[in-house]
Order: sequence, then C-alpha cells, then structure tokens
Amino acid sequence: MGTIGWLILVVIVIMVAVVAFVVIRRRRRSGGVIATKDKR
Amino acid sequence: MRLLMTASQIRGLPVVTVQGGEDVAEVRDVIYNPEAGRLVGVTLNKRGFLAGRSRDVLAAEAIHAIGQDAVMVLNESSLVAPDDAPDDVGHPATERNVLGDDILTEGGASLGKVVDLVLLVGSSGEVVGYQIDKAGGGQGYIPLPAQLSVSGVALVVPNITEEFIQDDLVGLGAAVDEFRARLGLT
Repeated sequence: MGTIGWLILVVIVIMVAVVAFVVIRRRRRSGGVIATKDKR
Repeated sequence: MRLLMTASQIRGLPVVTVQGGEDVAEVRDVIYNPEAGRLVGVTLNKRGFLAGRSRDVLAAEAIHAIGQDAVMVLNESSLVAPDDAPDDVGHPATERNVLGDDILTEGGASLGKVVDLVLLVGSSGEVVGYQIDKAGGGQGYIPLPAQLSVSGVALVVPNITEEFIQDDLVGLGAAVDEFRARLGLT
C-alpha cells in the first residue's frame, strides 16, 4: 500500500473514532426518570 | 397556569438564571418521589454539544419555574454540589429508572410499560400520570393518585386506572381530577 493508501486509511480511522466519540458522548448525556425510594 | 409536560420534554431543557439570563446547565435526569407524587429535583449536564455531565444538581425547591423552553432558576447559586443537596437529588438511585417498567393494577391486570412521566409544571412539579405503551398496542396516558402505597418490582396502580387511560395529554389533564375524585369516593 502506497503513501496515499496509508493516508486514506488514517483519515478513515480518525473519522470512525470521532463519530464513535460523539455518539458515546451524546448517549451518556441522555438522562432518565428516577424514582426515589420505592418505585411506583 | 396548568401546563402538563412529560419528563422527556423537560430533559435537555436549558437551565437559565432569572437574574442575568445566563444559560448555566441542561437537565439530564428527572428525579421524582412517587410517595409524595412530586418532582424532587434534576441532575444536570454542562452546556455545549459535547460537554459532559455536571457535578452540580438542582433541587425542586431551587427551581423558579419550569416552562416549555427552559427551566428557570434565580441565579447560579441555585445549582449546588451533590453533598449540599437533599440526598435523593444529590445521590440519585440511578437503578430506579422507571422507564420500561411494567404497570400492574391492584387486581393484577397489566396496563403496559412506562414510556414517560407526566408532570404538572408551573406549580410544585406535581406528578400526575405516566405515558405508557399499552399492553394491547399503541400509546396512552394514565392518571396517578396523589399518593400511592409502596409497591414491589412493578408499578402498581388502582384498578379504576384502566377506565381512565387517555389517548393524549389534553385528555389526561381533564381525567386527573375526576380520577382522584373517584378514588376519594371509593
């Protein structure tokens, strides 16, 4: 694989990492509905 | 003002100060007390697309108003560290997330699963009902009594709840008073 090939691979890996980071971050931000003590 | 909002409409709302109009946080979790039938507080995210969870929390007593577009607080000091907040808000029991829980009547009939919580905002944050995935298919809303006895794994509601399943929030608003009046008579 030539230089261009490696560059494309690196760009793809970085893009996948960024998308994964954003998705995980957004999911962690979504909250819930929490009942105190016994649930109803 | 009588405004019904679901917890999912409140989650993600910006927290804005009345004094200064600063956008200081974003609502993450909605915490309610089922025995008292009211909102007790919210946990927070920091503002910004990729900002993470905020350590600070907001107790219901410190909320100035909840509107359709923002949760209003007097100033930034309304947001407090977990240790300075009531224990239910400062250290919420995250395993007690009710979304997805089964709803059973006292007679043992399944009404469906909890999709969301419905609150009467503009007052004390009274919990008035649940949005549910009905056991027979489709979605609906059920009113809740002002107080209920302690339940086990599922959420247990009175038998007459089945008669008051509504198709929309407007219907729920009208049904809550009648439902509670009926419970008072039975």
